Amino acid sequence: MVTKEQSPLEEAAHVELEPGAALPESLWKVRIKLFWAGLRRNWSLFKENKIGLMGLIVILLFALMAIAHPIMRSVGPWQDDDVYDPVIGYDAPIENFEIVPTAADVVDPNSQMDVMTAQLWCFGSLPGEICEIPLQPAPPGNGHILGTDPLGRDIASQLTFSTRSAFMLGLIAAVVTVGVATTVGSIAAFYGGWLDTFLMRLADLVLLLPLIPILIVLSGLWTINLPLLGILIGVLSGFGGTAIVLKSQALSIKVKPFNDAARVSGGSNTHLIFKHIIPNVLPLSFLYMMFTVTDAVSLEATLSFFGLLNIDMSWGIMLNTAQSQGYLRTGLEFWWLLIPAGLAVTLLAAGFFFVGRAMDEVINPRLRSR
Amino acid sequence: MLKFVGRRLVQMAFLFFLFLSLVFFLLQAQPGDITSQFLNPEIPAEVREQIIARLGLDGSIWNQWWNYVTNFFSGNLGVSFSQYPRPVIDVIAERIPRTLFLFSFATLLSYVVGFSLGKRLAWKRGGFSEHAVTIGGVLLYTVFYPWFAVLMILFFASGLGWFPINGFLTPEFWRGAPLTGNEVFSMLLWTISAAALLAGATAIIARRQKERAGARWVRSIGYPATLLLFVGYWVARDEIRPYAWDIVHHSILPITTLALIAFAGVMLLTRGSMLETLKEDYILTAQAKGVPDKDIRDKHAARNALLPVVTSFVLGLAFIIGGGVVTETVFSWPGMGSLLLTATVIEDVPLATGALGFVGVLALFAHLIVDILYAVLDPRIRIQTGN
Amino acid sequence: MTAHESNILEVNNLVMNYETKEGMVSAVQDVSFSLPRGHSLGLVGESGCGKTSVALTLIGLQANNAKVLGGEVLLDGDDLLELDKEQMRLRRWTDVSMVFQGAMNSWNPVYTVGEQIREAMDIHWDPKPSAAEARAKTEELFGLVGINADMIDRYPHEFSGGMKQRAVIAMALSCDPKLIIADEPTTALDVIVQEQILEELRKIQHDLGMSIIYISHDIAVIAEITDLMGVMYAGKLVEIGSTKDIFARPRHPYAWLILSSTPSVTGPRRQLAPLEGEPPNLLDPPSGCRVHPRCPFATEKCVNEEPPLVEVESGHSIACWNPEQVPVGLAVGSSE
Repeated sequence: MVTKEQSPLEEAAHVELEPGAALPESLWKVRIKLFWAGLRRNWSLFKENKIGLMGLIVILLFALMAIAHPIMRSVGPWQDDDVYDPVIGYDAPIENFEIVPTAADVVDPNSQMDVMTAQLWCFGSLPGEICEIPLQPAPPGNGHILGTDPLGRDIASQLTFSTRSAFMLGLIAAVVTVGVATTVGSIAAFYGGWLDTFLMRLADLVLLLPLIPILIVLSGLWTINLPLLGILIGVLSGFGGTAIVLKSQALSIKVKPFNDAARVSGGSNTHLIFKHIIPNVLPLSFLYMMFTVTDAVSLEATLSFFGLLNIDMSWGIMLNTAQSQGYLRTGLEFWWLLIPAGLAVTLLAAGFFFVGRAMDEVINPRLRSR
Repeated sequence: MLKFVGRRLVQMAFLFFLFLSLVFFLLQAQPGDITSQFLNPEIPAEVREQIIARLGLDGSIWNQWWNYVTNFFSGNLGVSFSQYPRPVIDVIAERIPRTLFLFSFATLLSYVVGFSLGKRLAWKRGGFSEHAVTIGGVLLYTVFYPWFAVLMILFFASGLGWFPINGFLTPEFWRGAPLTGNEVFSMLLWTISAAALLAGATAIIARRQKERAGARWVRSIGYPATLLLFVGYWVARDEIRPYAWDIVHHSILPITTLALIAFAGVMLLTRGSMLETLKEDYILTAQAKGVPDKDIRDKHAARNALLPVVTSFVLGLAFIIGGGVVTETVFSWPGMGSLLLTATVIEDVPLATGALGFVGVLALFAHLIVDILYAVLDPRIRIQTGN
Repeated sequence: MTAHESNILEVNNLVMNYETKEGMVSAVQDVSFSLPRGHSLGLVGESGCGKTSVALTLIGLQANNAKVLGGEVLLDGDDLLELDKEQMRLRRWTDVSMVFQGAMNSWNPVYTVGEQIREAMDIHWDPKPSAAEARAKTEELFGLVGINADMIDRYPHEFSGGMKQRAVIAMALSCDPKLIIADEPTTALDVIVQEQILEELRKIQHDLGMSIIYISHDIAVIAEITDLMGVMYAGKLVEIGSTKDIFARPRHPYAWLILSSTPSVTGPRRQLAPLEGEPPNLLDPPSGCRVHPRCPFATEKCVNEEPPLVEVESGHSIACWNPEQVPVGLAVGSSE
């Protein structure tokens, strides 16, 4: 005997619906139940993709990091502003060197230094004196789990602080991209004709153009801070590939009968677009938000790495500081300046990418492995 | 076919016009007087006015826009502020071949290796190598590129010392050289292009042969001849060769780094495309005909799996060009990409605008080439007979 | 067992299972039949009855998870199951070729039809054909199936559906095979084209003396072009004999039920009696005779013991314990 699967509506309402019968529960309760049922189903599909799960875990870990920073700074071990502020903090252990006459006399380079070298660091150095040199950047230790950067700032504090700006940037860029793309796609689908052709040609152009060169020039000539960057990325990508995909989605909805029904009952064009087409396009939009965050995080890091942005602190800035002071040329000696920041960008961008791919499999059944 | 190309060229011109206008307005929108950076603030007002007029900066914004765009199409990109009075077009002309060199080689390498690996991966499912390569590919695909480039330099250049750390050539080495860097580089480009053309001609002529034996004959003459000519030339040019090698030596790491990033995406896409293609009925038919495995994989499956990969190149194009810009900057390799950054930082607006415009030209042309390539590869696009 | 000289193909006690995650699927169970030279045999049955599995085994293209557990396939005396992969590959097309279902997709879109036909010749002809020889043969084949010779250098998308199917038949003949297998050769074609294709196939059999096996779920097609017919159900061959004989009087209950549910243009008008139920799950096939759950004449013996294939008249065999129960005329359905 084959058991008949209940339709979501029946499932949600827990009754067999008789045609013509009144709904036993109020409409909004049914809507919520439908929403939860859909969410549970999508989640079980999503879970199957192991990599997507890993991505989600990575994102959650970063979110924890972002939350951790203010906590550490207010009630945790990083309360000392002078030391642990990610932008203006300063701490450097002092290393003492005994000064000896010539380089040949140096027996222990860890605690002895010749006069010539000492002159660079300590004024009026004479043999027999002690020269104090602040260690900037300092390797991990002495209260700094990841060491300090060339300006004496705590790396771990910078790392966690930057997580917040990364998320914020991602959010702004994603929301703006989706907003622009959804609107453009819906308008193109709805009105058709020359407007459609024009918007799609524009999208082709936007797709084709590399964002980095454009942003390099823009951020070099304008002063761009984080929110502005997010909006810029959002607007520039919103007209591109995402708009094309959302337009075809909107198009497939446009031809559904309930549109005609709505129009017949007197809905205006804007009403139709906002209340019917857009809500049905939203799941796909949400998917593309993931990819936008990936791109935004990488873009910001790249631009900051080149020193083009007006931001106080981000992972890219961390790398920029290290690079511009020449600490990355000597190999992995100063690994704590290089590895944590770069890894952070990679992992967060990758995390969103994998989540996006997994969501793609949920939304596009064609891609599923079974 | 010609009509197709012609039509696309017109479309490209229109799109480029849009792009250039967009760039122009974006850059003009920057606050402050463009000339403030470069003009001595002490000079008297009338002289300043004269200079502004000479640079064409006195008209209305629409005037300036129209002049700029029409001039661009006729090859006049204005004069560089920072290298006054050198015309922008000169600076760019010097840099473009280098960027094309980097871009072409990186693209070729990544697509050839990526496609080859991807198709083999899809053919032989399972096993340790499949997982390892896939994971490696994914890692390369998602890594933060500038960071990866720095790591590559640290590892292969600073660490192992196999390659120079950055730059186009080693200046000390070139003292007293008989030719300039640009000249040697041009020679390199000419010989490589000639070899490529020869190889391409061999391939086309071989393809057209009716008999298998004839095709084999053409190939066995053409390819070795190409190789011989190329190698022979450089063996003969004794004095120049070490300098040419210096340039090549400096290019290897940047090209490889860029290729590694692009390769991952191609490989993963090829693998996916192959897996889809292998489900097709004509693969079963080929097996039924007794076609050997390798031919099924290459001649039947891969040939069809190629099509979506070529299409994806259009999207990957922006990625590689952007990557090229980053590569040139991190490696201090003097191409058009690094020009963008330097011109921007010193606020040389004409130079920056010109460079950005040319990046657009590059993108559009590459797109055109891909479209043509796709038409060549897919007879369904080429031959539009209805029945 | 040595083959009879006049048989081009002898299949003896073929057993094949598919290994799946859920278990072993018993797809082909002890199937035996022979095909005399120059004759055509049609295998009919519902979806999943094993007819396609048998066909694929004949050409060595069974799926990766298919396991042949016993039996022999004697093509012109040689047991194909004994051959290794490479030996089988060389025999394909030149010993036994296949026309697949849905010929539209049998063609690789990026090569011309001529190139794809020549590919087969290049592999199997010894010595390899020159360009002129291959073309001459292809023109001859195209003439045979009624396609204009200048279509040889065209791409598949330039052919109509019917032309594609005919070109597939031409390709199947390119290496002068001993046996051709046609899997659902007319499905996905409109009726007029169907008739053309069937005409081509008839011509090939009679003019070239080709031995052909047809696989179809469409009884009408089988009735039109086959000399012999085998009815399969749930992996078993339940009735086999000359097409004429079986249509005139089906002796196995299942064949009788099938024919009762099919209208006849020339026969008397009657109410059709549709077949109830579904084919069984081959992961766990019914005990005894696999037909018994749907058989109106099933007895206890049918539930417990599998009936062997027994000859009831010359060249006509059935596997049933109670064939005498089957009425002479076809069943008549009741109108509701």
